[in-house]
Amino acid sequence: MSDEIATMPMPGTDRRFTGLALLAAAALGASVPLWTENMPFVLILASQAVVAAIVALSLDLLMGSTGLLSFGHAAWYGFGAYLTGIAAKMLTADVVVLLPLTVVLTIVLSAIVGFVLVRQIGKTFAILTLAFGQILFALVFVLSSITGGEDGLQGIPIPTAFGFQIVKPAVWYWLLYGVLLVALAGAFHIRRSPLGKAWLAIRENTERARFIGLNVSLLKLLSYIVSASLAALAGGLFALFNGAASPDLLNWFESGKVLMYVVLGGVGTIIGPVIGAAVFTVTEHYVSSITDSWLIYFGGFFVLIVIVAPGGLFGAVSNLWQRIAAARRGMSA
Amino acid sequence: MLAASLALNGLVMGSVLLLFSLGLTLIYGVGRIVNFAHGAFFSLGAMAGIWSANSGLPFWAALFVVPLGVGLLGVALDWLVFARIRDRPMVDSLLLTFGLALLITGVLYELGGRNVQILAIPPALQSVVSLGAIKLPMYRVFLSAVAVALTMALLLFLKNSDWGLRVRAANDNPEMGACLGIDREKLMHSVVGVGAALAAISGVVGAPIFTAYATVGDKILILAFMTVILGGLGSLRGAIVAAYVVGLITVFGEGYFGGQLALMLLFVLVMAMLINWPRGFFGEGRTE
Repeated sequence: MSDEIATMPMPGTDRRFTGLALLAAAALGASVPLWTENMPFVLILASQAVVAAIVALSLDLLMGSTGLLSFGHAAWYGFGAYLTGIAAKMLTADVVVLLPLTVVLTIVLSAIVGFVLVRQIGKTFAILTLAFGQILFALVFVLSSITGGEDGLQGIPIPTAFGFQIVKPAVWYWLLYGVLLVALAGAFHIRRSPLGKAWLAIRENTERARFIGLNVSLLKLLSYIVSASLAALAGGLFALFNGAASPDLLNWFESGKVLMYVVLGGVGTIIGPVIGAAVFTVTEHYVSSITDSWLIYFGGFFVLIVIVAPGGLFGAVSNLWQRIAAARRGMSA
Repeated sequence: MLAASLALNGLVMGSVLLLFSLGLTLIYGVGRIVNFAHGAFFSLGAMAGIWSANSGLPFWAALFVVPLGVGLLGVALDWLVFARIRDRPMVDSLLLTFGLALLITGVLYELGGRNVQILAIPPALQSVVSLGAIKLPMYRVFLSAVAVALTMALLLFLKNSDWGLRVRAANDNPEMGACLGIDREKLMHSVVGVGAALAAISGVVGAPIFTAYATVGDKILILAFMTVILGGLGSLRGAIVAAYVVGLITVFGEGYFGGQLALMLLFVLVMAMLINWPRGFFGEGRTE
């Protein structure tokens, strides 16, 4: 797994250009509610894409930084959704209380589960995360008196913030989008920080990372907790936004989808999985409105991507770009 | 009384689980691939059992035709798909089989897998056996007999045949095996074929009990994963012991606490076990 995009040395002008491009992209994303006033459905789809992007980012924080491959990331997403939904029904509808509560409880649970999980190597970790996802999926049915079982968690009250109800789709979109931007900024910051460097060292060579004195288990656990908490936050936001949570959120298909976002976008590129999630969510919506057999195309595409473009579509594109640029340089020289 | 009957049912469950897990262990042992699509092979077997019953094929014939078909599919998959990622990092094989599982499940959904169907038990096996005061349906006895017989056959084959020697060699030391002229490519085709066939036959013989639908293999796959982790990844005798342990725990848990809680109990147990013995019962599992 090379990490060309993140570690590519950038000349000054290029960096300024990249900064401007990012700013433009961020502004374009923020402007979505302004030009979709007459298309309420597009705005909802865009909001879902933003939630998907947050989940994808959370998985990339684990997969892309420490190289731990989670096949049950939907477990944390669904856990956050159910926890927030249940707390909203039973305690309070104030997001200022709800979301921190969800994050804190997720940190506690993911620390306990992660304590055993991150000590496992590669395949065992992958298998156990898948199993953990299925266990939480089963838990929804065990506690069906609280969770609503098969029907899903219905009737989550409209959330409030500082006494105001959050109802308008545009406000929702900006709230979700704001969370995404903050999370992205945080992810980029971590990537440049010593913590991010230590994580990358673990991904590249765990043995050597241990030899140079890094506390590998603790660092892996930290990345697992950060990743789980962000996913749970996304789940909580989604449950409040949607007004309901269904057991499908915890299904392994959902985990597969999240994994697909990251693989499609390129593991470890931070921005790639976010774009992957957005593209994928929109595509899924339009394809599944045409055909019933969405899962076949999804699975087939998944297999194809892994075989043909293991670095993700964006990895493939940037590879091609570099090759063209190199060829051009070669011609002019 | 309940305990004795649960114990018998646990043995039945363990036998099916064993048959299913052996394929998983072999594919892992020879190809270093954790096959997430193994549950989909089970579902495919169960659904194929229903299709053949609907097309008038007798149950006994289905027991041969279905594993043969799915086994050939396994060979084709290995040849066309798995072979493409043989030298890639581990991540790719996990992602690939995961995508494959989604693909097969999607196809099964389109072929009537949305509804739960039950395969009819053949008339010859509809009686009930009484062991003292415990009554056990004849079919469950038959089910475990098939599973145990096939497992024994496979183990004997692994121990005594030329093919088995190659498989064990590739399992123990792939590089050395390659040096001695073992063609890993061809071997892997056959191993995936056998593994898929075993999963499919457990699907067919299990269909009258576990029913048949597109995701029927999911739960058994999770149980099988617990089995191979408890026994140690790639360890054959570990898998044999672990399959019965998992089977008994599942059935007892279901009897006393209800189905889904049993799964949770098992997961906690596996996690607890991993803290101290990450290499499984016999300490010979791989950690890589």
